[in-house]
Amino acid sequence: MSTLQKVKINKLPTGVPGLDEIVGGGLPEFSFNIIAGAPGSGKTTLAHQFVFANATPERPALYFTVLGESAIKMLRYQQQYTFFDPALLPDSIRFINLSQVVLEKDLGAVLEEITREVEKSNPAVVVVDSFRTMVRKPLEGMDLQAFIQKLALFLASWQATTFLIGEYAEDELRDNPIFTVADGLFWLCQTAERNSIVRKLQVIKLRGQASVPGLHTFRITDAGVQAFSRTFGLTARKRNPPSYRRLSFGVAELDKMLDGGVREGDSVLIAGSSGTGKSVLATQFIAEGIRQGEPGIVAVFEERPEAYAERATSLGLDLETPQKDGKLTILYLRPLDLSVDETMQSILDAVQKIGAKRLVIDSLAGFEMALSPGFRADFRESLYRMIFALTGIGVTILSTVEVDESFTEFPFSTYSISFLCDDILRLRYVCIDGQLRKIMVVIKMRGGNHAKDIREYEITSKGVVILGNRLTNYQGLISGIPVHSAPSAPKEEPSQEPGTKS
Amino acid sequence: MTAAPKTRDIALRLLAYEADACKASELEEAATLRVYVRVYEKLRQSLGQIAGADGFQALASRALVLARIEAPSLGKVRVAADGSLQGLVEFEPQPGSGKDQAGEGGIILIASLLGQLRIFLGEALTLSLLRYAWPGEAFDDRNSAHGRNA
Repeated sequence: MSTLQKVKINKLPTGVPGLDEIVGGGLPEFSFNIIAGAPGSGKTTLAHQFVFANATPERPALYFTVLGESAIKMLRYQQQYTFFDPALLPDSIRFINLSQVVLEKDLGAVLEEITREVEKSNPAVVVVDSFRTMVRKPLEGMDLQAFIQKLALFLASWQATTFLIGEYAEDELRDNPIFTVADGLFWLCQTAERNSIVRKLQVIKLRGQASVPGLHTFRITDAGVQAFSRTFGLTARKRNPPSYRRLSFGVAELDKMLDGGVREGDSVLIAGSSGTGKSVLATQFIAEGIRQGEPGIVAVFEERPEAYAERATSLGLDLETPQKDGKLTILYLRPLDLSVDETMQSILDAVQKIGAKRLVIDSLAGFEMALSPGFRADFRESLYRMIFALTGIGVTILSTVEVDESFTEFPFSTYSISFLCDDILRLRYVCIDGQLRKIMVVIKMRGGNHAKDIREYEITSKGVVILGNRLTNYQGLISGIPVHSAPSAPKEEPSQEPGTKS
Repeated sequence: MTAAPKTRDIALRLLAYEADACKASELEEAATLRVYVRVYEKLRQSLGQIAGADGFQALASRALVLARIEAPSLGKVRVAADGSLQGLVEFEPQPGSGKDQAGEGGIILIASLLGQLRIFLGEALTLSLLRYAWPGEAFDDRNSAHGRNA
């Protein structure tokens, strides 16, 4: 094998948060790219972000506008985005209008004009917005495919990274010979899902490097386009080796049931019906982490962060101070029409910002409701991606889920996600001696020998408190309507410890 | 409509720059008029490159209509399809009218055009775009070599 080095393709920042990850680290330098999509899908904004991220006075960007949106109006609107820096005009970014050439001449003349300007400026970036509008004029002379072929060859020889922007419907992308010339093909679309609009981006083709496949959601905000990679920006991160450290719940008896606590990096599910104390346990889990120096994130969907912290105070847990100290972030993710990926990106950003070790999602039902209807169908798959990504970097996730109380079934979750969870803790009401009492049981614990005990507990001013020993004198506890198996319930029978045989 | 003081000031600075460039101090009234044309033409070339001839023509036509309100001497001036000014002969100072009449009309027209840009693009981008036509010239008050407020 030759020892001569292969050519190294530099990767240019796209200027679009999240897109570098999707395209495999940045856009290949000198590549010839097409951004296709319907009107209003964000094509021009995406191209502007790339231009503003890469143009310099030495290697400027040339932005050719053709027919369509007036250049003055385009600048009027684009400057509203935070990435738009007027000071970069005209030394680093030059806008050139070719509409007259297109209207009065043919594509050959357009190519000549572009050639002339490129030779004059030696640009690093060239954008033609929108090349598709040139086709709608009856063609004379050169056809569009020849035009693009020649343009691609010319701009590659001038070492320019190029974007052609075009309005295309999805079915026009297939078998379109124009796209064979392109090194990169980006497809932007927006679809209506009931009353919501969902924007998605796909890298259909990218020569020279591996991109993240699939449809990635994106949003257009004041900062421009923001893309949300399906891998949440963690593809480059190595998965942490498995940890055997145990994390305390802050409830000693529960830690015992869990063979010393939750294993670090696990995904824990607390399932139970309304009022069984899922959120209380989750709060105790996060507060105990902070007490032990492990920063935490709580993603809440059903109540505001202030209310969540206030409720913790009523349990004797201080969540205000750690928030001020940067050890805790309570994320309120209520807005409707969120995509799963951008919700998860918010969580990831918060996790990375404070170096969180524990994450509480309270609750999965609230999470689902915050999503755009179109994303709810993908909820389970998205949860899988998020749990895999976060636990892979050592974050321990505790999710709560409400399940309907049933006296014939003992469900763990309404989402069939138990396979995603390493540990499942089930809380439920039970009718004993004319009282509605609460019991908990560890259903599952991967990599640990958990207790099989069914334990009664109460929610007190100190949070969840597990009472006495396991309930031995009842049959059918998990049905919720047990029957006495002995005349009286002895109190002193020892609880089954993890790792011991009953 | 009176041009905003800042817009008028920029117009004056552009005219002063062009006057310096062609040693305007030695020119007569008609030549002074040509300074406005020089400024206008530079704007037409540079903004036309960005907005296209049609885009510039639309902008300039609106600017002229507004400028005429303050400067009736612009009454016979027209903006051609390519954005250039026509009817300038009628705009030449008439005997006895003095150069101020033509001069003021020119200032108002340039200021009006800059005002249109400012409305659409804001001050920062307008000043950036002026550097298309006057490269190397700083248009903020602190750095301008030709600025009246420098």
